[in-house]
Amino acid sequence: MSVRTTTLPKPYHDAVIRWRETFLPDYDLLMESWEKFFPTEPQFELCAYRQLGMCTEIECGDQKGKPKFTRAADMPAEPAQHLFGAIRAQASTEFGSIQQHRLTLARAQEEEEQFWILRMMAEELRHGYQMLHLLVEDDWSCVTQESRADLVEGILSMNTGSHILGAFNVDFDSFIDNVVFCGLIDRVGKYQLAMQKVSAYQPMAESMPQMLREEAFHLAAGVVPMRRWATAAAKGSTFITMVDLQKAINKWVPRALEMFGDERGGGTNVRFGLKPMKNAEAQKQYVEEIGKLVRDLNLRYLRARDEKLTHGESEAVLDRILAGESVGGIHREDLLHLPHVEYFRRRGMPAFKMVGVDGEVFTDLRAYQQHLVRTLPDAYRASRDFREYMDALTQVAEGTMKAEEAAGKMPSLRRVGGACPCSKAVRWMVDEPASSPA
Amino acid sequence: MTATTSDVSIRPLDELDISDIVRIDEKILGAYRPEVWERRIGYYLRRDPETSVVAEADGRVVGFMLGEVRSGEFGLEEPTGWVEVLGVDPEARGRAVGRRMAEAILEHFRERGAKSVRTLVDGENEELCGFFNSLGFQPSSLRAFTRPI
Repeated sequence: MSVRTTTLPKPYHDAVIRWRETFLPDYDLLMESWEKFFPTEPQFELCAYRQLGMCTEIECGDQKGKPKFTRAADMPAEPAQHLFGAIRAQASTEFGSIQQHRLTLARAQEEEEQFWILRMMAEELRHGYQMLHLLVEDDWSCVTQESRADLVEGILSMNTGSHILGAFNVDFDSFIDNVVFCGLIDRVGKYQLAMQKVSAYQPMAESMPQMLREEAFHLAAGVVPMRRWATAAAKGSTFITMVDLQKAINKWVPRALEMFGDERGGGTNVRFGLKPMKNAEAQKQYVEEIGKLVRDLNLRYLRARDEKLTHGESEAVLDRILAGESVGGIHREDLLHLPHVEYFRRRGMPAFKMVGVDGEVFTDLRAYQQHLVRTLPDAYRASRDFREYMDALTQVAEGTMKAEEAAGKMPSLRRVGGACPCSKAVRWMVDEPASSPA
Repeated sequence: MTATTSDVSIRPLDELDISDIVRIDEKILGAYRPEVWERRIGYYLRRDPETSVVAEADGRVVGFMLGEVRSGEFGLEEPTGWVEVLGVDPEARGRAVGRRMAEAILEHFRERGAKSVRTLVDGENEELCGFFNSLGFQPSSLRAFTRPI
């Protein structure tokens, strides 16, 4: 395996460093503490990695078997436009997640978990850097009139509220969000990276292997604390309860499902050789995977509640409880569940349908609003994101706005007018999705 | 049931394998140690998830082999693959699960630039010694030293 390491030209590299100083102020602490938390592990390095020796033929779609593209200018216009959008969206998510994590990082109860998240943030910074590398190294004039500097500035100017994908416009309420986000949202990232590993654009494909390796730990940084919290909850800890975990799952699963794109779409990317799976197919696999995660958490909880249970016994007990039986004083509602795929959706086929966590359909707006209030985290209910969703839902339910129109409005661009840390310019890039300035 | 090696598939380790590895470890040692494996698997995922693998058969994880490529330790400057932990579900023995995992992990070591692979085995564990011998491992001049403290 051969890997080529490179750094961005100095002005762009320095811009990322300045962004880091603004949005990842604990970076220096991470470096100082590296030996304590990650002894014997190689130090973090801010650079772009390209894995060499990968498949050079297009692996799916209409052009399957033909040579992959090494330059955007050689691609047909439509695939190039799709690819450009995907790189910008990927960059936006990488930088966006750091902006979310930093708000509640200091609230971690355990130092080890805090430094896991901090390391993950540094690696997300590198992933964003990797995407900027793709934008800066190639000539994208075939799809945009923006200069390289404008492209970089546009991405580094985004903030929570103006990112391309909805999940990255939702503020974190507590360290529970840091962890559950890693377990659920980073998992979508894993799917996207794995699909992009076969991209017909060779530089994109070569960027994925190292990102995927790093992403594997990001998922663990979510799953391991969730397992520990389920154990502590079973033993009576009241710090983070199963109810808290369930509400956080309810908050993030709908946003995760929407990250795959509309359930009816994705065929174009497959046809262009940019991804091997349509949106619905990838989303279905994801749902199965997080189903396993939830089941594992429940098994961990049951064995912590009754340490005499064997693995096989705990599996049987779990199935009985999920079927509605009460076993050892544990009821179905004491355990974790995946919310229904149509619950609390604002994009895709189920956007603004009034479907509850168990798939129950509501016809009364007030009753559905109360259901959401009961099933989502208390702090989130006080957020601007939730209020805007509720406003849109009300308009859809009252027939004053169509669901498609409401979906197009979310996320709304609200923190308009911020300055990019890499320049003195004061302006914002307003692109996809179609948004209305606040 | 006659089992064949073709029933077994190998893939890189991931964080959702923790429960299955805990289950296999419990079957082998008789001890339930989730905390140990949560921390340990986190470590291997940070180092390089592709140099640790699990084996699947009949839709279940039936084995795991954790390792990494290191250099600069024990006077070994060249990159060396280390097989550090392995376990096979007792019910899946006889299906060449260990061999399949070893072949996969050695391939990854080679891709990472390792020219040799090492492990440490209790000399009294004849089964494990036999397993590594069957894979072509030979006793090394590198000796294990220990003392109580």
